[in-house]
Amino acid sequence: MNFTLEVTQPFPDQPIAVFETGGRLDASTVFELERAFGAAHSPKTGLGMRVIVVTMDGLRYISSSGLRALLAARTALRKTGGDVLLCTLSPAVRDIFDMVGFDTIFKIYPTREEALGIAKLVVTS
Amino acid sequence: MSSTPSTPSKPSEPSNDEHVLVVPAQFDQVRRVTQFVRRIASAAGFADGVLDQIELAVDEACSNIVQHAYVGQSDGDIRAVVHTPLPLGRKITISLLDSGQPFDPDAVPAHDPAAPLDDLKVGGLGLFLIRHLMEDVHFEFGLAGEYPTDRRRYNRLTMSKTR
Repeated sequence: MNFTLEVTQPFPDQPIAVFETGGRLDASTVFELERAFGAAHSPKTGLGMRVIVVTMDGLRYISSSGLRALLAARTALRKTGGDVLLCTLSPAVRDIFDMVGFDTIFKIYPTREEALGIAKLVVTS
Repeated sequence: MSSTPSTPSKPSEPSNDEHVLVVPAQFDQVRRVTQFVRRIASAAGFADGVLDQIELAVDEACSNIVQHAYVGQSDGDIRAVVHTPLPLGRKITISLLDSGQPFDPDAVPAHDPAAPLDDLKVGGLGLFLIRHLMEDVHFEFGLAGEYPTDRRRYNRLTMSKTR
């Protein structure tokens, strides 16, 4: 099982990207996520996305490499008034988030729709 | 106490079945180790949820070896030694050996889940996970090789899990 990632922009007129993640996110696959984060939010070389919603229902496994990549992206986006919002975590991934305390750092939503609703508020604030 | 370094390949407890796998220390080889350990633990009767924990701990340990112990070195390897439970036993013990740079586990910034975000030491995340997912976690450094002609010194992480 490899890491899968599909990037979409659900609202053409808003700087919101959705990352649909699946499979395994570990030290051997994390570069794909890091590259996509860079391409999406870099104001100079990327698409200038301000909020990235990461759907994780297909993500079955995450190691500390994946956790660090998410945290680095969150830090980068928040510097420009944006954010990384997470949703639909599988129970196994949720357990890891709770264990390392990331459940209190990230905004985590049960559905993609809720996360997108908050994303719209962030980009218009 | 003898000053002779102990050999890294011998288990500290008499037992049971020993399973050994040696892979090149590369990120794309780490999954071979995690699946090797997972298969043995599964056959020993560990439940899926516990297998996930064991897999993640082994992943973190091997990734640390690739990223830190063998930094700047491309010809290292990782030796995984798994001791399965005796009949009616409930504990599996996993040792991971490398001949890279030793480190001081106490010097790694400790990850504190309750720390304010600004103080978060994410560098210690892997070690934090290993210590929380597994039991009897301990490190040894400067171990002699199995054969007299092997001049390398080995690092060994040993950890166990009870079902």
